[in-house]
Amino acid sequence: MLSTLIWVPIIGAAVIGFSPGSNSYPIRTRWIALITAGLVLLWNIFILLKFDISNPGMQLQEYLPWNENLGLSYKLGVDGLSILMLLLNSFLTWIAIYSSSEQVQRPRIFYSLILLVSGGVAGAFLTENLLLFFLFYELELIPFYLLISIWGGEKRAYAAIKFLIYTAVSGALILAAFFGMVWLTGSTSFNYDALPTQTISTTLQIILLFGIVVGFGIKIPLVPFHTWLPDAYVEASSPIAILLGGVLAKLGTYGLLRFGMGMFPQAWSILAPTLATWGAISAIYGAVTAIAQKDIKRMVAYSSIGHMGYILLASAASTRLALVGAVSQMFSHGIILAILFHLIGVVENKVGTRELDKLNGLMSPVRGLPLTSALLVIGGMASAGIPGMIGFVAEFIVFQGSFSVFPIPTLLCIASSGLTAVYFVILLNRTCFGKLDNKLAYYPKVEWSEKVPALILTIVIFFLGIQPTWLVRWSEPTTTAMLADIPTPSQVSVLSKRVGES
Amino acid sequence: MDFANLASQLNAGTILPEGIVIITLLGVLIVDLILGRTSSRWIGYLAIAGLFASIVALCFQWDSTNHIFFGGAFNSDDLSIVFRGIVALSCAVTILMSIRYIEQSGAALAEFIAILLTATLGGMFLSGASELVMIFISLETLSISSYLLTGYTKRDPRSNEAALKYLLIGASSTAVFLYGVSLLYGLSGGQTELSAIGDGIAKAGAGQSLGLLIALVFVIAGIGFKISAAPFHQWTPDVYEGAPTPVIAFLSVGSKAAGFALAIRLLTVAFPLVVDEWKFVFTALAVLSMILGNVVALTQTSMKRMLAYSSIAQAGFVMLGLIAGTEAGYASMVFYLLVYLFMNLCGFTCVILFSLRTGTDQIVEYSGLYQKDSLLTLGLSISLLSLGGIPPLAGFFGKIYLFWAGWQAGLYGLVLLGLVTSVVSIYYYIRVVRMMVVKEPQEMSDAVKNYPEVRWDLPGLRPLQVGLIVTLIATTISGILSNPLFTLANNSIAHTTILQPTTVISNQVNNTTTELAEKL
Repeated sequence: MLSTLIWVPIIGAAVIGFSPGSNSYPIRTRWIALITAGLVLLWNIFILLKFDISNPGMQLQEYLPWNENLGLSYKLGVDGLSILMLLLNSFLTWIAIYSSSEQVQRPRIFYSLILLVSGGVAGAFLTENLLLFFLFYELELIPFYLLISIWGGEKRAYAAIKFLIYTAVSGALILAAFFGMVWLTGSTSFNYDALPTQTISTTLQIILLFGIVVGFGIKIPLVPFHTWLPDAYVEASSPIAILLGGVLAKLGTYGLLRFGMGMFPQAWSILAPTLATWGAISAIYGAVTAIAQKDIKRMVAYSSIGHMGYILLASAASTRLALVGAVSQMFSHGIILAILFHLIGVVENKVGTRELDKLNGLMSPVRGLPLTSALLVIGGMASAGIPGMIGFVAEFIVFQGSFSVFPIPTLLCIASSGLTAVYFVILLNRTCFGKLDNKLAYYPKVEWSEKVPALILTIVIFFLGIQPTWLVRWSEPTTTAMLADIPTPSQVSVLSKRVGES
Repeated sequence: MDFANLASQLNAGTILPEGIVIITLLGVLIVDLILGRTSSRWIGYLAIAGLFASIVALCFQWDSTNHIFFGGAFNSDDLSIVFRGIVALSCAVTILMSIRYIEQSGAALAEFIAILLTATLGGMFLSGASELVMIFISLETLSISSYLLTGYTKRDPRSNEAALKYLLIGASSTAVFLYGVSLLYGLSGGQTELSAIGDGIAKAGAGQSLGLLIALVFVIAGIGFKISAAPFHQWTPDVYEGAPTPVIAFLSVGSKAAGFALAIRLLTVAFPLVVDEWKFVFTALAVLSMILGNVVALTQTSMKRMLAYSSIAQAGFVMLGLIAGTEAGYASMVFYLLVYLFMNLCGFTCVILFSLRTGTDQIVEYSGLYQKDSLLTLGLSISLLSLGGIPPLAGFFGKIYLFWAGWQAGLYGLVLLGLVTSVVSIYYYIRVVRMMVVKEPQEMSDAVKNYPEVRWDLPGLRPLQVGLIVTLIATTISGILSNPLFTLANNSIAHTTILQPTTVISNQVNNTTTELAEKL
């Protein structure tokens, strides 16, 4: 049942990649990709309906022995932590394929790589085996490299290689930490439900956790490992940026929650203050740097760094509410980033620039791009955390849940949330408002089909903003169950003393 | 001594695979003598058929109990069978790729195949040799054939220079190896058989003597030359650049596998007393090879030189398994060499195909190839990414197994270095992929602009295509379907008595060392 989510996209990728003539019929190729992604999305919704919310454990498990010598087995399962991420993945894959231009160059390899990536990400979210996770994690490397470096902006070669090296280093760190986890527990398989990581001494736990935090921190990304992100997001074409920011960054936060907090609850609670501060610094840094940008895509890229900081804060706080907030923020950030990148892609396509100094007056009803700019305003507001939209719900739960544990980092994050509003106001003010330049403003019309993804995303943003139960209900039992292993503050002080002594 | 007893001691059945190769070799030569150039249409297939017959014969010997040949000169245990199989298979694929290449260069094919089969023979005997003279003879058979093959395209000055350089370095390293071997003979009180040497040295009480260490270092210098471990690697880039490409395909796989087989057998059997020392030396070699191979490969502009440095680096990775010295370590070596066979030969096949069609090896000349030749682009991309360790290709599983075996043996630093250098290696492998796949049509290189129409019906191109597709498929799926290969690799180690931790030899060694300790 879950395998379908991995294999249907990959088979679709193979069909597109090896069928003759798919380059000469770009429209047909696009339709095949769209139908494949649509089927996966429908199947994902079906799984969501079958999902038993009250069960905190792994559901719909699948198991096949694969390579006993390596401890590698094909073990899949879905729980509250991964179900929303899976949905996000298949939804955004569909959006990305839909929002790609019909005249895309070399459609065969383009669509097959997107589908391959989608299958790989689904695999990483589903797997219950560390090595299998690593396999799927590394599987993203080359397709994304090619997606950035073939269909990208001016400096795409540089951006793509930077992405590649950062991600490869992150993979190496994660693999080393996984080896350490399995070897130190004396386990023979990499299945993580059977790993007694608690038996490792606390000092070693902290070292391993540190490897995991840095490894996934590159992917999330956290300051100071974020420098690949502005380049990669900006140089990637907008469908690819949607996938990069919407889905791939979630792989990092998901990994942090699943393998960091889930596997090392004790070490996690010792490192938690550091992580919370780190998250707050990331958030402030992202917001402040975004204010200084002159390129709207770069602005949104830095805003993404800021929003991912909240997730780190919430996971560090690890209260019942904060964790629900973290998962909701992961989902909401994916949706909001997708709408922003899609609209920026439309603007760039029609107007031909992304410079804040050149854009002006897009709100103008006749010759501007009125609906696009209206949707951009909504996207910006959602990102800045205006009530009634999904961003507010997630951020509010995060702050509410973290305040009792880490008041100062939470306040810093709230401040950075205010700064988010600042740079989105700058962005909207410079692009949507003002007067059109009469000499230059002969923009092509935005077709209805180009607006559809943004409209769907807007509906999701409003619906989940007003009816947030649908956002939080999936993850609550699982995250609550994860908390059971986290030691209480008094136990933490005992633990940290023990580390200090050893 | 009656004849039956002699025959059982001789146990000639164990070298049936090599016998088949010799007969094939003679067949090739005689056919060429009688028919001349006209035979070159099918003589390659004759050789391949012979090699496959030899591999089949190897299969029948799998797990046989009676595997000592010629009173201990040759050991046909499962370890040697696996390595002989690798050498024979690499030779078979090399012949597939060399038919067109050699024909096009205007040289005779039959002599080439005959020398190549001789080299294969040397490599196969080296994989199982367990006696000093036998080791030396098979090593030299392999080496001299390699020199001849390197200089085979004798109208090309680069080929001549490479052959001379290879011969000079090879001959001196052989001399050093021979000196080490003669020291071993003396130290052990006149033993030439490997297991007897271990015992002999222990009995003579030379366990930690300076002489033994010198012998060890000299022997390692000889082995390091064959597996092109830094700092004995200097011949590799020049030879790879100058020699005919099919030859270096064989050198990078067959010759290297034989070198590793020799390393495992010689070090574990003859030097059990100085395990820590040779592990230390190999750690140094592995560190150097991984760093130097991967870093220098970054700056190469020629595809063949780049693959040369990459093969130095890959040797560094394989040495991890040897240093681990556990069953899993040896098995991961065997597994990695098996998948390395597929991916490296696939890569070299693509390089040959490209240079046959364009006559160049420069990496920049690959720009924009995806438009003109998609199969070649796919093949070279897959094989290079597999060499870089990208899932789900074969190389990924090979590296994971090597690193995991290394980690289990406590080699944390080496594994971390391996991980870091793998990241570096991804950069230079992806650079070629970028040239082929990413470049726009207007950035196409001159060689690709004038790319001939893709045709497979010219003489000798069909086997090249077959070789390309077979190795490509193997590289792609032998990672995912790796269980049979894993079982093969693990069984080959588990069935080999010399690698078992509780062998008689190591017991004896332990006894003698404890006796020594008591005496002291």
